[in-house]
This record gives sequence, C-alpha cells and structure tokens, in this order.
Amino acid sequence: MNYSVKEITERLQAQFAGSADLSVRQFTLKSKAKRSAALYTIEGMVDKEGLAQSSLNPLLVYDFGSQTAAQTYQTILHTVLASSDVTEITEEQLIAFITSGFAVLALDGAEKLLAIGVQGYAFRGVSEPESEVVQRGAREGFTEPLRVNMSLIRRRIKSPDLVFEQLTVGKTSQTQVMLCYLKSAASPYLLKKLRQRIGACNLETVLASGYLAEYLEDPHTSRLFSGVGISERPDTVCGKLTEGRIAVIVDGTPAVIIVPRLFVEEFQGVDDYSNRTYYAALIRVIKSLSFGVSVYLPAVYTALAQFHPEYFPSWILIKTARSLSQTPLPVTLEVLLITFVYEIMKEAGLRIPKSLGHAVSIVGALVIGESAVTAGIISSSTLMVVATAAICSYVTSPLYPPVTMLRFVFITVAGLLGLWGIVLASAVVLISLCSKTSLGVPYLSSLSPFSWRTMRDVFVRANWKTLSRHTIKVQNFTETEER
Amino acid sequence: MPKKVLSLLCVLPLLLSGCGNSHQIESAAIIENVSVEEKDGQLLYTFYLLSDSETPEAVGVPADSFEEAQGLAARQYIPHLSLAKLELFLIQKEVMHEIMQRDIEYISTQASFSPVAYVTLCDSAALEKVKKSAHAQETIEKQLLLCKSNHPEVNIHYLSVFNSYADSRRDCFCVPYITAEEELKVSKLMIHKD
Amino acid sequence: MRVEVKFSSKRFLLTLMLCACSVILLQNHDLSRDASFTFRLLCLAAALLFCFGCYLPSVFLRKRGEDILSVLQSRPKWERWLITAFYCGYFRYTAVYFLLPYTDMFTKKYYTEASPCLIALLLLCCCVYAAFKGANVITRFGIFLFVLAMVTNVMLFGGSLSSLQMDADSLVPRGTLGDFLRDAGYFLTPCFTAVLFACLSGYTRNFRLRQPLIALGFTGLKYALVLFFITFAVGEYALRQDYQTFVLSRAAHFGSFSGFESLYMALATMSVFMIIALLLCAMAKAVNRNGSLPVIVLFAASVFAVHFAAANFDSAKEIFNSPSLLNLLSVIAAVVIPLFYLIIGRKRYA
Repeated sequence: MNYSVKEITERLQAQFAGSADLSVRQFTLKSKAKRSAALYTIEGMVDKEGLAQSSLNPLLVYDFGSQTAAQTYQTILHTVLASSDVTEITEEQLIAFITSGFAVLALDGAEKLLAIGVQGYAFRGVSEPESEVVQRGAREGFTEPLRVNMSLIRRRIKSPDLVFEQLTVGKTSQTQVMLCYLKSAASPYLLKKLRQRIGACNLETVLASGYLAEYLEDPHTSRLFSGVGISERPDTVCGKLTEGRIAVIVDGTPAVIIVPRLFVEEFQGVDDYSNRTYYAALIRVIKSLSFGVSVYLPAVYTALAQFHPEYFPSWILIKTARSLSQTPLPVTLEVLLITFVYEIMKEAGLRIPKSLGHAVSIVGALVIGESAVTAGIISSSTLMVVATAAICSYVTSPLYPPVTMLRFVFITVAGLLGLWGIVLASAVVLISLCSKTSLGVPYLSSLSPFSWRTMRDVFVRANWKTLSRHTIKVQNFTETEER
Repeated sequence: MPKKVLSLLCVLPLLLSGCGNSHQIESAAIIENVSVEEKDGQLLYTFYLLSDSETPEAVGVPADSFEEAQGLAARQYIPHLSLAKLELFLIQKEVMHEIMQRDIEYISTQASFSPVAYVTLCDSAALEKVKKSAHAQETIEKQLLLCKSNHPEVNIHYLSVFNSYADSRRDCFCVPYITAEEELKVSKLMIHKD
Repeated sequence: MRVEVKFSSKRFLLTLMLCACSVILLQNHDLSRDASFTFRLLCLAAALLFCFGCYLPSVFLRKRGEDILSVLQSRPKWERWLITAFYCGYFRYTAVYFLLPYTDMFTKKYYTEASPCLIALLLLCCCVYAAFKGANVITRFGIFLFVLAMVTNVMLFGGSLSSLQMDADSLVPRGTLGDFLRDAGYFLTPCFTAVLFACLSGYTRNFRLRQPLIALGFTGLKYALVLFFITFAVGEYALRQDYQTFVLSRAAHFGSFSGFESLYMALATMSVFMIIALLLCAMAKAVNRNGSLPVIVLFAASVFAVHFAAANFDSAKEIFNSPSLLNLLSVIAAVVIPLFYLIIGRKRYA
C-alpha cells in the first residue's frame, strides 16, 4: 500500500480531534515530481534543534532528481537522515511512536513511514532514590523515562545475555513496559507466566508500576504481603536479575517491579553486600526484631495491660498502672486511638510541603503529644509503646502497609482476647504467609519450605567466596511450581 | 459466599465475647507479699499491694485459713485481687504448724499462686518491720538468696518447701527464719514434721 | 482447597512429631502414681516401639506410592463409603479428644472466666482456614511451630534446672504390670499420627523408613525430658494440680525471671490448632480427594457440636477422655485397615 501524506494527516488530525500539541510540518522535497512529505511530532516531546539538524535541513536541501517514490524513500533512509535511530513503521504504529517522542516522516507514495528518534522531552535527572538510601553503594536511581532506566541497567550488565523485551499495556495510555531478564538465568516458565499476566492486564491507563503490580500477584493467595518487589535502584535490580528474577520497567515511573519476591528479601539491603558479614548479620537481626516489635509491641502491651498485668516487671507495672489510671479511655481504645492519630500525622507529614514538615512535627510531637499526656487524655506509656512500634516499622519500610494493618488487627484481637488472641491471630497470619506464592515460588522460601542451601543469605550473609561459588536461581527454590 | 460465611463466623464470637472479663491494669490489685501472724488469738492474713510508696499498702484480714482470707479480701477489700505475682509469703514462727498443715496444702492446689514465691518464717519484730517499710521486703529477699547460697539445703521457694513437706520419706527439712532484733537477719531453721 | 503439590516427607514427619508431642503438653493425671521414673521410661520405649509398628503397614503402602485414601478410590462404592465413614468418625473423635483437654486446661488454668465453647469455636474457625489451605501449608507452618517448641522447651527445662532434686530411688525401675499397662497405654496415644500418615503420606515425596523412626525418637526424648523435670524439678507439687506440663511452666524460672506459662500456652494453642487443622484436612480429603471449603466447614461444625455435648455431659466427656479407646481406634485405622489393603493389593499384584 502506498501512503498519501494528505490522507495520513487528515486521519491523524481526526484521531487527535484537533489537539493543540499535535504538530504537522508539511513540505515538498526538491525533486522533479515535487513529492510531498510531512513530519509528525508531539509538541514538547522532541528536540527541535536536533530534528532540524538531523532530518529537516537535509531533507529540504537534498536534490532527489527524478527518483521514484520507492527510490526517494530508500535515499532518505540510507543517505539523507543524519539520525542514528531510524525505524521503519506502519501507519498503525504511528501514534505509539509520536507519543513516545519520535518524529515520524511520511512520504507520498512510500510503502512505510520512518520514525526518527529525536526525543527531547524534559525529565528528572538521575539522582539517589530517597526511599532506598545506602551508605556504600551507587548514588544512582531510576528516573521516569524508560530508555534512561534501560541504560542504567545495561551499564551495569554489559552482556548480550541481558534482554529487554517490550510490551504495551493500558488501552488508552499505551504505556510501554519492558521485561528485563538474563537469558541464561531466568526461567522460561516464569517468563511465560509473567507475559500472560501482563497480557491479561485490561486497564485503560497504566500510570505507575503499582497499577501493574496487582496483576502480577499469584491468584488465590493472600494479598496482605506483596509478592511483587519494587526498587528504584539499578544495582538492586541487577543483583536480582543474576538470581533469575525478572524486572518489569514501566515507562514514566522510577519504581521497577521485580518478581518473584520473597519474604526474606524484605530484610536484605544493598549495603549488606558491601559491609562485613558479621555487621550485615547484625543489621538483618535488627531488622527482623524491628519487624516483630512493630507488629507485636502495641498488641502485647494491650493484652498485658488489659488481661495479664502480672506479666509486667514490677517497676514497669507500677508506673504503667499509674499512668493508665489517669486517662479516661480503656487501654485498647487508647492504643488504637494513638496508632490512628499517628497514621494521620504520618500522612499529613508526607503530603505537605517540606518547608512545613518541621512545623507539623513540632505540632504533632510537642503540642498534641505533650499536651495530651499532660492533660491526662492519653498515657505516656501508651504513647511510648506506639511511638517505638512506629519507629520500628520504618526499619523495614517496604513492609509498612502490611505491618500497619496487622498492628491494628492485633491490637483489636489483643483487646478482645488477650495473649491467646494474639497467638491465634499469629497462627492465621502464618498460615496465610505459608500459603502465599510469588509467581509459583513459595513466599516464605528458605524459612518454610526450609533449605540450608539458601539460608546462606537470610539471617547471616555468607562471605563472597561462598556466595560466588554458585548463584542460587529463584526457580530452584524448594517446591517452586514448575509447569 | 463461603468465605463471607467464614469471616462472619470468625467475627461473631469476637464481637460477642466483648471485653467484659478483662482485668485492666489500673484496677487490678497485684499482691506482692502475704504475711500471716496471730493477733488476739486469731490468725491475721495481711495482703501487701504492689506499690512504690515508702510505706506499704496493706490490708489485714482476720480469718481461719488462707482460703477464707483470700475470699474475704477479694469480696470486701480488694476487688480484683491477684496472687499471680506474689513474691514473698511470710509466716510467723508461732503459727507455723497450723499454716503448714492447712495453707501450704491448699496453696499447692491453686494454679494462680506462684510456685516460685519465697516462703520464710519470721518473728513478730520482722513482721512489724515489713509493715512499716517497703524496703524490708527487698532486704529479706536479698537475705534469703544469701542464705540459700550459704546453705543449699534451705528451701526458700514455695515449690521446694511444699515438696519437702509432702515428701513422706523425710522427717525434717530446712526453711529460712528471719529475725529483727536490730536489723533483719536470716538463719536456717530445721522443721521436724512430727 | 488448592490441588496439592507433593511436599517433603521430612517436613510432614516433623509436623507429625509436633502433633505427637502435644499429647504430653496436655497430659493430665493419666499416669500411675507409684511407678518410678525409670519404669515410666521403659513404658514409654515400649509404647513408642509399638507406635512405630503402627506406621509399618502404611509405610509399605507408601512404598507402593499410595496412601489409604488413594487405595480407596479403586474400591467398590459401598466399601469406600464404609471406610471413609470410619475414618471421618475417627478424625472427629481425635479432634474432640484434643480439643476437650485444651479448652478445659485453658479455662481452668489460664483464663478462668472464658467459656470453653467460645474458645473451641474460635479455634475451629481458624482451623477451618488452615485446613482449607491444605496439608502442605500446614506442614510449612509446622516449621515455625518447631522453632517455638524449641524456645519453649529450652525455657521450661533450663528454668527448671535450679529446682532439680535428683532422687536415686526414682531411678530404680519400680512398677507393676497394671502400672505398665496404664502408662504404656497413655504413651501409645501418639499412634494417631500413624493414622494421619496413612491418610496423607500420598502427598509427600522422598520418604525414607528412618523418618518415622527419628520422629518417634524425638517424641520419646521430649516425653522423657518432660517426665524427668516433672518428677525431679516439680515433684510432689505437680501431682496436686491438673495439667502437669503447665505446672512445670509455672515453676520454671531464671532467678526472678518467670512466667513461661504464656510461652507454654502459645505452644499448646498452636499445637492443638495444627492437629485439628490436619485432622479436618484429612477428613475433607477422605470425602473428596481435592477437599472443599463446605466439607471442611461441615466437619468443623460437627466437631464443635460433639465438643459442646462432651463439655456439658460428663458421660460423653468420659468417652472422649479415654486414651484406651483412642488407641484401639488408632490401631484399627493405622494397622488393621492398611494391612487389609496391603494384603489385597499383594494378591492383586501377584
């Protein structure tokens, strides 16, 4: 089929319904046939100077003489265009390319269109991700454009084994998604399953990786803990890729999805691999304890204060009893209320401008907290318990959502049934965790199903000599589902 | 649908159970020490509440047995009485035989009574000191531990006192004895079962 | 219920070991008073040897790649129904056998104001969820329970060391035939794990004969340690109260640091939770190889109804408190029926 510039332009303008950002530059080539051509771009997404230098100027200057349309097309492709990134596309791909920052050249009578890579939109530079700060690692983090993120990974794994596989999701947004994996490490079965799940995503728009994450979770497993990992660090992603995991980079978001995700990974950090093994082990133990404290401390405090005061050491018991006797609310309600107020303050702190952050901290901590204790509305011991749990919950920040939910549930159960209720609720949560899988890999792998082989990087990180002897691929974990 | 039914089944008992049975920390009366002595020809059980004040908060209950005293105290003076954290059981030497036969037996059947509570005999002066000063209890406990390390055969915990008492093959056993002529002092006392 | 993938036999036997150990956690006055500690150890050894014998028929079935429930699939309908009904009845009996002392102990020792039926209902609701997730998930849970059991045992036994008073007289084997029958009968209770093995071992892989032997060995060690500390650390005091392992946990202390009954209670709760979940799971699988939520809920409701009756009527309670009856049923379920199908199978293969 031979294209007509006029028809393409009309169709495109109709599709964009006269949208102001669609730019169509029509011109006539220097030739005997006076052949028409057009460059389609989206305003603000291309580097105009680059486009003029690499494409528009050469096109207007070059003399095509008496060449036919096909010959003119070939000359443009091989001789005229000075851009390094030129792709032959069809009209169906036109919108996807121009909305991705390409300039698309249409030529009267040609059989294909040419997409010229002259992206030039403004984007945030590569900077250290705030949520994953490390002491001794790289200071680079992913940013919004997909290609930049791909380059950040490619720079770290300079091997043809690294594959980027492009998919598109979102009926309207047509978001580009890149599956990234090491051909020799990733399981073809996991890849197939992942492609199927991304293909099953029927969202209208995909604006962040979180939209897609839910579709990547295994069906019929608990959704309390996430079986999908998120990282903004290229070094973390590269490390995971070597273990057979697959990264999913979504265009427009710096958060890269990593699957499968295991529970023990929540306690690992990039720094662990730079630090001494004993220190890494200490950090991991601290993280595990913090997780336990953040989930259980307010609930255990509630249960002891409400049902089993005799379990408190005498000196704490006296002080706690005195402190609680001066407050009007029952201890369960008090703990729930303070936890709830803390969550409100946390949300407020996150949403307001940074310059006001200190003011909120002062108002929250000093004015509300201090005044409430002094006025006898809440007890200082309860405040301390909730604050300790809150601080601990940030040690394993990716687990913050499930930890918060569990904290509320456990406090309620502890208030109703005491320590026995906590034990029973823990049993149910453990069963739910034991049944969870991430892309067919048991979520609690290494711990349950237990494996000595994989325990070398759980609580204690083995030294690099041991770790480098052979890499344990994620698909080789015990009881991983295979076709 | 079954999931909803299951969730409802789980939530219903929780809602129905309520918090009514709880003993909140601020209203619970944790007993730290119990002493028993003879006063005006009758046994007087004194329950010392856990507190950090200089003078002990105590409630004296005249009764014929520990069981009766505990019941009376819980009904009339200390509503949410709890013996789970009991640390010290002081017995006046003069009432020893009566207590050994009845109360030590009774306590052994009570799950709420801490088996690792210290049990000691003492004289009236020591009991007076315990009533007046909160520090006396601390001193007694230190002395008991010292006594145990010097004389391993002395039974200082309720568990060992009861076992020695109940062991039919033994004729006698050792318990600590606290006296307070000037200051609190502990010595060992041999008890012959007959 | 999800379709089960085959899971490690080692883990399954670890779970069964934890189930077997819970018998001693809920132990309540079933041992003869006059027998010495050494004599009890002999009874224990004899009983556990017999338990191992109970495993053998299903071990041979397992070697053929089958378990009793898979064998039943190829049998005539009436026969399948009959045997399934027996197993369902047995599992229900066993569930109530453990639920009754647990709720009794809970309300007597821990929380006197709680209603036993409410405790049973809540526990059963959680068990339904676990049973719905399947035997594989329950055995995975077993690993965490194992860690809790280790911590609790270290605290209980370590905390009792200071109260230890060895008595040479108790080390001399002393007891009558009646004592032997009574104690060995009680120590035979872990036979119920052989029935669970007979019904669920078809879902496991890498089975070795030494696995049940090791599991029973560790069960015996746990029993022996509990008996040892109850005899020599808690002594006569333990006999004055029900549930002697609870008394042991109350008496354990490191200096002034005590209160291990909460750990003991957590272990007992989780053990009973796991046993009942496994029993419900086995019951559901006996009816339908894939099991289903309504079947599990139905069985849990029936267990609750039986528990309710047993908790309120002493005559019913007696039936469910009898280790002899449980042992008799266990022997039928773990030995007689599998042996019958083993012989029939051999004839068929011949």
